[in-house]
Amino acid sequence: MTESIFTEKTTCYHCGDECLSTSYVVEDKNFCCLGCKSVYSILSANNLCSYYNFNDHPGLTRARTDKRFDYLDEPGIVKELVDYADDNLTIVTLYIPHVHCSSCIWLLEKLNKFNPGILYSRIDFLKKQLNIKYDTKQLSLKQLVELLFDIGYEPLISLQDVIKKQNRVNAKDNLVQRIAVAGFCFGNVMLLSFPEYLGLSAFEQAFKHFFGWLNILFSLPVVFYSGREYFVSAWQNLRNKVLNIDFPLALGIAVLFARTVIEILTQTGAGFADTLCGLVFFLLVGKFVQRKTYHHISFERDYRSFFPVAVQVAINGTEKPVPLADLKVGQRIILRHNEIIPADAILLKGEALIDFSFVTGESIPVSKTLGEIIYAGGRQTSEAIELEVVKPVSQSYLTQLWNNEAFTRQQDNRMQTFNERVSKYFTYVLLAIAFGSLVFWLPTSLNRGLAAFTAVLIVACPCALALSTPFTMAAALSIFDKNLFYLKNTAVVEQLAKIDMIVFDKTGTITTAADNQIVLTGTLSALETELVYSTCINSNHPLSRMICQYLGKVNKHELDHYKETPGGGINALIGKYDVRIGSGKFLFGEFEETAGQTRVHMLINGRYCGYFAFRQNYREGLQQMVDGLSAYQTFLISGDSDHEKNELLPIFKAEDRMGFNQSPQKKLDFIQLLQRLKGKVIMIGDGLNDAGALKQSSLGIAVTDNINNFSPGCDAILDGRSFNKLPAFLKFSKNTVTIIHCSFLISLTYNLIGLSYAVSGNLSPLTAAILMPLSTATIISFTTVATHFAAKRRKLL
Amino acid sequence: MQPEKFYYDNKIVRNFGIATIAWGIIGMTVGLIAAIQLFKPGMNMGNQYTTFGRIRPLHTNAVIFAFVGNAIFMGVYYSLQRLLKARMFSNFLSNVHFWGWQLIIVSAVITLPLGFTTSHEYAELEWPIDIAITIIWVVFGVNMFGTIFKRRERHLYVAIWFYIATFVTIAVLHIVNSFELPVSAFKSYMVYAGVQDALVQWWYGHNAVAFFLTTPYLGMMYYFLPKMANRPIYSYKLSILHFWALIFIYIWAGPHHLLYTTLPSWAQSLGIVFSIMLIAPSWGGMINGLLTLRGAWDKVRDDVVLKFMVVGLTAYGMATFEGPMLSLKQVNGLAHFTDWIVAHVHVGALGWNGFLTFAILYWVIPRIYKTQLYSKKMAAFHFWIGTLGILFYAIPMYWAGFTQGLMLKEFTPEGMLKYPNFLETTLRIIPMHVMRSIGGAFYLLGVIVMAYNLARTMMQGKLVANEAAESMPLEPVNAATESGWHRKLERRPIQLMVAALIVILIGTVIELMPTMTISSNVPTIASVKPYTPLELQGRDIYIREGCSNCHSQTVRPFRSETERYGEYSKAGEFVYDHPFLWGSKRTGPDLAREGQKYGNAWHYNHMMDPRLMSPGSIMPNYDWLLTQKLDTTTTRTKINAMRTLGVPYPAGYENKANADLNKQAQGIADNLAKDKIKVKNDKEIIAIIAYLQRLGTDIKANKAANK
Amino acid sequence: MNIIYFLIGCSVLLALVFLLAFFWAQRSGQNDDLYTPSVRILLDDETEPQDKK
Repeated sequence: MTESIFTEKTTCYHCGDECLSTSYVVEDKNFCCLGCKSVYSILSANNLCSYYNFNDHPGLTRARTDKRFDYLDEPGIVKELVDYADDNLTIVTLYIPHVHCSSCIWLLEKLNKFNPGILYSRIDFLKKQLNIKYDTKQLSLKQLVELLFDIGYEPLISLQDVIKKQNRVNAKDNLVQRIAVAGFCFGNVMLLSFPEYLGLSAFEQAFKHFFGWLNILFSLPVVFYSGREYFVSAWQNLRNKVLNIDFPLALGIAVLFARTVIEILTQTGAGFADTLCGLVFFLLVGKFVQRKTYHHISFERDYRSFFPVAVQVAINGTEKPVPLADLKVGQRIILRHNEIIPADAILLKGEALIDFSFVTGESIPVSKTLGEIIYAGGRQTSEAIELEVVKPVSQSYLTQLWNNEAFTRQQDNRMQTFNERVSKYFTYVLLAIAFGSLVFWLPTSLNRGLAAFTAVLIVACPCALALSTPFTMAAALSIFDKNLFYLKNTAVVEQLAKIDMIVFDKTGTITTAADNQIVLTGTLSALETELVYSTCINSNHPLSRMICQYLGKVNKHELDHYKETPGGGINALIGKYDVRIGSGKFLFGEFEETAGQTRVHMLINGRYCGYFAFRQNYREGLQQMVDGLSAYQTFLISGDSDHEKNELLPIFKAEDRMGFNQSPQKKLDFIQLLQRLKGKVIMIGDGLNDAGALKQSSLGIAVTDNINNFSPGCDAILDGRSFNKLPAFLKFSKNTVTIIHCSFLISLTYNLIGLSYAVSGNLSPLTAAILMPLSTATIISFTTVATHFAAKRRKLL
Repeated sequence: MQPEKFYYDNKIVRNFGIATIAWGIIGMTVGLIAAIQLFKPGMNMGNQYTTFGRIRPLHTNAVIFAFVGNAIFMGVYYSLQRLLKARMFSNFLSNVHFWGWQLIIVSAVITLPLGFTTSHEYAELEWPIDIAITIIWVVFGVNMFGTIFKRRERHLYVAIWFYIATFVTIAVLHIVNSFELPVSAFKSYMVYAGVQDALVQWWYGHNAVAFFLTTPYLGMMYYFLPKMANRPIYSYKLSILHFWALIFIYIWAGPHHLLYTTLPSWAQSLGIVFSIMLIAPSWGGMINGLLTLRGAWDKVRDDVVLKFMVVGLTAYGMATFEGPMLSLKQVNGLAHFTDWIVAHVHVGALGWNGFLTFAILYWVIPRIYKTQLYSKKMAAFHFWIGTLGILFYAIPMYWAGFTQGLMLKEFTPEGMLKYPNFLETTLRIIPMHVMRSIGGAFYLLGVIVMAYNLARTMMQGKLVANEAAESMPLEPVNAATESGWHRKLERRPIQLMVAALIVILIGTVIELMPTMTISSNVPTIASVKPYTPLELQGRDIYIREGCSNCHSQTVRPFRSETERYGEYSKAGEFVYDHPFLWGSKRTGPDLAREGQKYGNAWHYNHMMDPRLMSPGSIMPNYDWLLTQKLDTTTTRTKINAMRTLGVPYPAGYENKANADLNKQAQGIADNLAKDKIKVKNDKEIIAIIAYLQRLGTDIKANKAANK
Repeated sequence: MNIIYFLIGCSVLLALVFLLAFFWAQRSGQNDDLYTPSVRILLDDETEPQDKK
């Protein structure tokens, strides 16, 4: 086939990628591949091309066009995936990673245009979830998914869909409503308490009682609806013999309410309704702030969340999808391009070119030869292959990790938060003072005693105390967020500050999968360059593509003969030139690659013109980054051989800080070892092979170059781009904790001021009503300002 | 299942749009005339029907309810249909709504110049029209909620929440504030008296501003601004928060209009606090709007529609910041009753409401006519002349208000008022009034240009009366699905509307409570007696002529005012004032203590030609009072009505009321005769003099008695 | 100032209605997704989608 020589760079109308060939053109629109072209033709067929008007190149590049969703015909699997199904209606929620712009929303909510069987399709943009209701009679799940695939929105279907789980949790939570009620009552009570403070003239006393009654009315829902949970948790904690902060809070609320009611009924005072409502309102707001999480990121993923749901099994000649759970040893499975190997298996047929980036972070595919054992987790990147399962899914080299006790262990309470530790003592002291003042006044007068007792419990009610942590944490969290460092929850910030050891994985963590370095050893003349380019451009092998990109745009020559030996190399005839490109084995027969590098050698007319070497870059700023962590003990554990040792030595200083050829299990054990040495360890990894270590560590951070991609279960996800900010993050987390301590001091001083009034037994509602919001306001503003200041100092803002 | 095909009703949008433009021009022209009269009284063309006191209410009503009102309906009818993916509930109701509303406005244009007014600011229209308004408003509500039920889009976009709030709140406010006791076809008395009436009026007055001039426009802003800029609102979360915060705070800011009056001080402080709190949600909204354009300022540079929006939002920000400032007692003491307030409201009206309306018109009209705007140049001109107009209007008015406020408070070292004569201060600010009307003229010119521009746009395009659209119906309700909250969803809007109506009902029911227990526990003053029949008639003339538009009737407890006018007002003095006549602006001096200050002759001449008594006065001649005969046939019903409202006229007094009236009138006529003034005792001038001479004298009598 | 009873009554009632409205909104999932709707309103122009250039 002949192709015109590119004049200027053309980009794909659908996905915006560079078009390496001009063979895909429709109505003067260029496409980079058949996939993109077909999507366009589907859209134009349904005249939905407005899709392209809202944004340029809204699509996702579609190198592959074959679809295999047969397993979605398996009733068992379908049952797993759908939310609801009966004879006429099926409801399913799918996670669609590619959703990224308004065009996506527009198109995905128009699915009905493609198939009238689809009754309803709604997208949640931030969660990237598509909720679909369709007519079971007219459409099957498989057809639906295929449709999505055809228009370039392949859903990510996995057995473990964490995001859905997260949603269910939020669904039944009604915190917002409790806040609304509290806020509403707070507003009205303030309104009604004002006249009291501003002084009602004699002839307006009637209002006083009227307002008083209304106040009681308004505080009822606040106490018994909004504030209920505090009583509950206080009671439960008492039952388990623990005093947490909820106890004094519940006590405070109760006392406030009781005194309010009594004072108003006996007309001895105005009561504390406004303080009460304000207290509950602010507390709940604090809770709300603390809730801040990222619904669109999943921290709980394990291998199941990216292993296929089912795999094609060859049973006497015919293929049949089998759910992973039912996959047995000895069964023959067939994997096609881009499918993941679900269990350790032996290669029986075909050329395996396996991309292990999910497992190790190594982005350059390795080719396997017949009879070799291929570990689960790899992704086949060339033609279809056939393998025989040698271990059940759960027992595979990789997945057996999850049988480790690290995964059965309860999460989150690895470290007790400062808040929890302090509140215990606080409560004791508080009760002591309260009863003290009671006992002190009792001789003089019972009323005075009770007044003092209740007053103490009111003013010392640790509202500010309870708020300081949430607000500080929330502020910190959003700052990390801005710096592309996503924490699972606010508690992680505090844990981050306690760390003293840091363990790095190598590949994919301190190296970047994004831009691989290609080094050409040897020299190519202009002509030779053209020849190599013309040869590689015809191959889909990732290495060939990289080479083409490396060589850039040069003239292309017509090929007379072209032969690609999968896993070996290419052999091409261009005019009088015989071009051979490929692995050492392929070109020279027996050949041992030195230095564990991936290399592609070139022979033109038998002349050796050097080789391309591929290796991954270290992330920029790695050296300074590790130096910045001098305060910590840093380690490196890698699954690879130690051929990079010498380059890494200057970075990690001591040899004994670096471990190579570490199996996933070994990594986990290493973390345990450190922890036995009383180390608080961060594990920083990326692939599934780090999952064990991440889980075991005091705090696991997964590094990824695209947060929508797979990342193993962890406490925090770090975007590769801010990898070198790690020291700043750690310092900042320490500052945050300091800030919390300060705010505790502040709120304590407020409590003391209040107490000075309280113990004497004469606390006016006004004082309480002023003190409570004032302390709260101070805490909130202090924490926010301080946190931002700290962030600025760490250059995180 | 196939998507349903349906059609957006653009005709109704077009109609409201045209109405907006037409009434806008009329209302602003009237305003301009009124403004000119403030330095050239002759501009009333020697004609009572076009005199300031009568056309100022016309101006406010025309601009608020005709211009802004129609604009709101235009915006709502356009955006609601598209946000809900449904045609309006009923074409019939839509048309009833449109024509009914225009009819109401026309009746206002007729009755107000004729002097039929309740004297309640922004609620001047008399009771029959009030009823009509209620009906049409309900029609609007039914039409809106109907559309909400049959919607095809589950989510109610934030704009719709603002619309709903507008409907419900205005309904309640309107009913509460227009509870009047009719005495004739076009005359009624407010059921509440004095302080209570004042509180109700400003509870209404403020919330009318809040829920008629603000919430619907915020709703439209949240729909049209993103559409115009073709980018989502900066933070949708914030907009939701904005809505709920605004709703819960606004309702109680009212009393700040009554600072230093005889309203209980705690109520005043309440007003202040809530006004201050309002800054937060208001600015939340403005910032949300402006940040929507972040990174798109290049668009703003060459898109006049966005320019209008930006200035409008900025004006909103200024107004909503100034409002709370003005509610601070110190500021208020200076600014209240002066042109400062006029400037304040016009920044809001011209900037926020006006400019947003223009932006929406410029955006909507070409769309529903499927064409381009006739002339971008003209639109740009409109923008600049309009902005210039606002500046020329606001700045002089601020200046005038500030100057006069200070002058009125200024004392000489000897402790005497520096400007004992109110007129001096008026003369000082006349140049500012001139400049203000120039600003107004600019603004009006801009609107006229827009009218032409849009007219040409309509001509060159063709109205798409029914714009085709299609969407899936709300998915079939399936009991088994998702814990059945679908069904709730389908049901709830109905409940919401029912609840809304119930509230209106309850509102009206509780309404009756104070009228039944009319014995308000306002501290009464023994010496304060009901008005005599003649004074009562005089008072109604005072109301008819809209004197309270320029003269307040409440002395605030400042030395500067007690020195100037006399003892400060007490709540007890107003217990028989149905309605209260405190006023909100002092273009002329306060009249609370006017009684017995001057002789009857002075008043007679002053009414005939104010400049005879006070040279340079800008008060118009009320010479028709000299000639017009006082209608005493109404006396009986008026006395009865007053008695029903709890004014202690002795039983059967209505029978001998006119006798008393004639006796008192004769007395005044005789007294005038002494000053060589020949006037029959049945002229209106007698009544008005009687009323003016009575003002604030009861307390003096009290004093005398105590001496 | 009996009127104040009445005005407070009205205001509180009004506020209550809005509170109920808020409850409905919350329950019926009106506030579940507080981003997508803001984009969705830009996409309704079926007949002639406005070109961004």
